[in-house]
Amino acid sequence: MIAVAIRKRLGAFQLDVAFAAERETVVLFGRSGSGKSVTLAAIAGLLRPDAGRIAIGGRVVFDAAAGIDLPPQRRHVGYVVQQLALFPHLTAAENIAYGLVGMSREARRARVAELVALLSLQGLEARRPAALSGGQQQRVALARALARPVEALLLDEPFSALDEALRGDLRAELLRLQAEYELPIVFVTHDLREAHLLGDRVAVLDGGRVLQCADRDEVFRRPASRRVAELTGVRNLLDAAVEGDGGDRVVIAGLPFRAAFDRALHGPVDVAIRAERCNLRRVDPAGPLPENCYVANIVRRLAFGNTHTLHLEPVWAGPVLEVEVASRPYEVLGVAGRSRWVVELPAEDLRVMSREPAQ
Amino acid sequence: MSREPQRTATAATRRTPSLAPLFATPALLFVAFVIVPLGALAYRAAHDGVVPEQLRAEFVFDALRLSLITSTLTLVLALALGTPLAYLLARASFTGRQIVDTLVDLPMVLPPTVAGVALLVAFGRRGVFGPLLEPAGIELAFTTTAVVMAQLFVSAPFLVRSLKAGFEALDQTYEQVSATLGVSPLRTFWRITLRLSRPALVGGAVLCWARALSELGATLIFAGNFPGRTQTMPLAIITAFESSVGLSGAIALAVILLLVALALLLALRFALRRLPPFEL
Repeated sequence: MIAVAIRKRLGAFQLDVAFAAERETVVLFGRSGSGKSVTLAAIAGLLRPDAGRIAIGGRVVFDAAAGIDLPPQRRHVGYVVQQLALFPHLTAAENIAYGLVGMSREARRARVAELVALLSLQGLEARRPAALSGGQQQRVALARALARPVEALLLDEPFSALDEALRGDLRAELLRLQAEYELPIVFVTHDLREAHLLGDRVAVLDGGRVLQCADRDEVFRRPASRRVAELTGVRNLLDAAVEGDGGDRVVIAGLPFRAAFDRALHGPVDVAIRAERCNLRRVDPAGPLPENCYVANIVRRLAFGNTHTLHLEPVWAGPVLEVEVASRPYEVLGVAGRSRWVVELPAEDLRVMSREPAQ
Repeated sequence: MSREPQRTATAATRRTPSLAPLFATPALLFVAFVIVPLGALAYRAAHDGVVPEQLRAEFVFDALRLSLITSTLTLVLALALGTPLAYLLARASFTGRQIVDTLVDLPMVLPPTVAGVALLVAFGRRGVFGPLLEPAGIELAFTTTAVVMAQLFVSAPFLVRSLKAGFEALDQTYEQVSATLGVSPLRTFWRITLRLSRPALVGGAVLCWARALSELGATLIFAGNFPGRTQTMPLAIITAFESSVGLSGAIALAVILLLVALALLLALRFALRRLPPFEL
């Protein structure tokens, strides 16, 4: 268990974050400068918040009001930084054993052997970090962080310096480690795919604040605000208005669409729909249209290997849209051969949000 | 010092526009300037054959022993007192840090004779603290202790300066990670900070020790020139030079000091390079 609610002023930057996690992975997701790393440093005890409370594994390690502020040594967290900071003068095995003080030599050897096996580092024990590959260094850093009994694992963009193939391997490794240890993991990243793959929960940070903290699918499917939608890669952010009072329709670019939303909303709203949730329907554009459909022309096509991104403009009314189609349906539907399509915005995928005050 | 860069094509292996032809002439001129006097010294010493004879002279042996003992003691004291100071100057923020920082540098730019006068005024029998020390039976001026004090005063700043730069250059992430691994600050300092600052430590220690070995002006004024007690090698050289033996005696002593300094320099570098590694 980990529960964080802290505030910290750093020059002109104001950090004000709160989130919690059980035995799961929380991804702190945001752009650089959003306060992700600072938050992690505060949890590790390397930075003293001005106010708030941090509890790790049922122990309060920081509480400004109660005057509790445990030093990093007593917080029992594994902390892996982006640059890894493996001690360059120590071998891989010595790096892993580094924090194992006050143990007998045999116990220490046994623990190192365990971690070497867990992270598949056999044969590399005697190497210095400089003689290890990027992926191997990463695994040594994880082993070192897990050597002592820890209550949580804090990972600050640990895979960002690696190429994509290696990252995939290490993400799988991390999922395996979590299953093994059942630890809460706080994972900082600015990579959307990584956040999606690793996060059970996702906290979206922006300008030092948590804009939304919820289960991963909730964040990705139902962003709390236009800004969250933007940050989480929603390509279609549309101006709309609730039709009438207490209805279930929003008007987007002159057309009414059915959507599920809070009845309290009225007047101008923001509507978000992910590019991959929009459908091209095999319906005659000249005939009667099903619900939530309109006719649009493909004006631009971008092929990304396994997906195609299409830009569409309405023929009569309706929004300008970006639609993502996987390669297979792209071929099956024959999208390449036709430019005029019936587009569906499924009601359950239209996310209606109250309009934020202009920033 | 973070990640090892990709080892395919580093800056060192790639071609850099070369200044070698242009810079070779002045560089060689300077090397010659250093080699010529030292070579002349060695040549004269070998030619005169006075070195073995001088080595048997008691005052030379005493001076050599005194030089080695005092300069080594100075280095130990400089390490013990200067290392914490260098760390605080590099890492801590306290009022007056700038002032302390400047004060530490002062002995480096001060003529040693000025240092000698200052030490005498402070710790001499009729100095500021002399009357306080005298009842306790402590007399500092013109003793071997004074030799060490004079050396420490002028040479410790070289160590502090070098170590401070080393500590400043070290990425503090290493120490932070060490703390999260449960290792105490003092242990972290010993196992991480000091080990990773080794080039600065070796460089500073060598400079400090060499400066102590060559100390003359401050020692002469604060400790005097008493054979066996305060007459270190540099003082013995001056004494020999001004005596009836003249230049040939000075040559012999100079060559001895040169050889000893060279041997110790190499030994020190070797010893500090091989700081015992942390064992598993």
